[in-house]
Amino acid sequence: MDAEAKLNLPPSFDEAIHRHEREITRFILRATRDREDALDLFQETWLRAYRAYRQLDSAEGLRPWLFRIASNLCLNRKRDRARRARVIADSELREEHAGTVGPIHEKAIHLKALLSRLPNKQRQALVMRKFGGLEYSEIAAALECSEEAARAGVYLAMKKLKAE
Amino acid sequence: MTVERKLDYFEDGAEIPDAVIDELLREARQRLTPALDRIRRPLVRVAVIDSGIGRLLAAHSTRGLVALRFMDGDDSADVLAALRRRFDVIEDHSLAAEIGGEIEALMGGDPSAISARAVDLSLVESDFQRRALSRLRRVPAGSVISYQALAAAVGVPSGQRAIGNTVASNPIPIYVPCHRVIRSDGSLGNYGGGPERKLKLLRAEGFAVDVRRRMPAEAVYGHWSSRIYCRPTCTAVHRADRRKWLIFADSERARRFGMRACKLCRPA
Repeated sequence: MDAEAKLNLPPSFDEAIHRHEREITRFILRATRDREDALDLFQETWLRAYRAYRQLDSAEGLRPWLFRIASNLCLNRKRDRARRARVIADSELREEHAGTVGPIHEKAIHLKALLSRLPNKQRQALVMRKFGGLEYSEIAAALECSEEAARAGVYLAMKKLKAE
Repeated sequence: MTVERKLDYFEDGAEIPDAVIDELLREARQRLTPALDRIRRPLVRVAVIDSGIGRLLAAHSTRGLVALRFMDGDDSADVLAALRRRFDVIEDHSLAAEIGGEIEALMGGDPSAISARAVDLSLVESDFQRRALSRLRRVPAGSVISYQALAAAVGVPSGQRAIGNTVASNPIPIYVPCHRVIRSDGSLGNYGGGPERKLKLLRAEGFAVDVRRRMPAEAVYGHWSSRIYCRPTCTAVHRADRRKWLIFADSERARRFGMRACKLCRPA
């Protein structure tokens, strides 16, 4: 009798957690830079993954699929934050920051502003590549596009950032 | 400033020490586990089995065998999707060896492992169907029952149609022996895995029925409330309620089931 995997099902959910919880945590922490947010999003990522796990139909798709969920949730969170932050006037924000943070933080704020102006796909591709450290093939799977398109997205995003 | 420098901030800042991740993970796990346990579904192990009667997909829960499906062609996707709607499904090769071994034993004439294995009827829709299939499990290898008799046995004497539907949608063929249900006139009737498989299974169990609806000459009728078995020609067979007959391949099998020979027709 042939003992090879014939169904190519994803591993058990606990095994999936065990394999990927560290890199997902790292990814979320990089994306949010906030402990409470990271804890929240970690929970949300895995619960959402659990509910949709039955739709995942191969073992290879698991890692990019998890990253897609995590990255979507991080982006949603960022968008909601931005919406709330808009209530506070820009000038106010600048004043508030002026005394408390150094130049490095300002660079970060500047970069965030640049990133937020990128088209969605390009930003996601860039974030996953540069901050998440994903392979192009995984980004492609996460964004449901070809590997070339993922590569192009990152390239175009970098080009736009460089132009600023 | 170059973009590489700008990104460097994140790259540098992103070098999060392992200790920080560890600490965060500990707390994250503590929050996740109870939340996950609240929505967890039962676990089912599945495996593909290449058996003597074709390729099968088996699914086993913690309570017992929950599904067995003939995979003619490649329809595993449908079956899996149906299972995954209800269960957390993982692939487990050891199950293939277990169930495959039991089916091989059955085909070689030893049904004991199959009748000893627990079954989980949670894929069965209604209470009536569950009762019918549980009752059917007690029909021993080497015997057959009619749709009508099975209906009567679960307390619905005119429910042979319902039994037909129940048996047709049996999620665990072979283990819930729907191949042992035949028509009242002695013909084989249909089978989910195809009539040839029904015949093959019955023959492996020592029931030498043939396609032209002929019962073997040694077959005897066992009356399950009086525990007496008769030749098919016995007057008692014609007098008694025919919804109570099990048909055994031979006298030996009827005796093994705890029946005694009729004193009128004196079967072998």
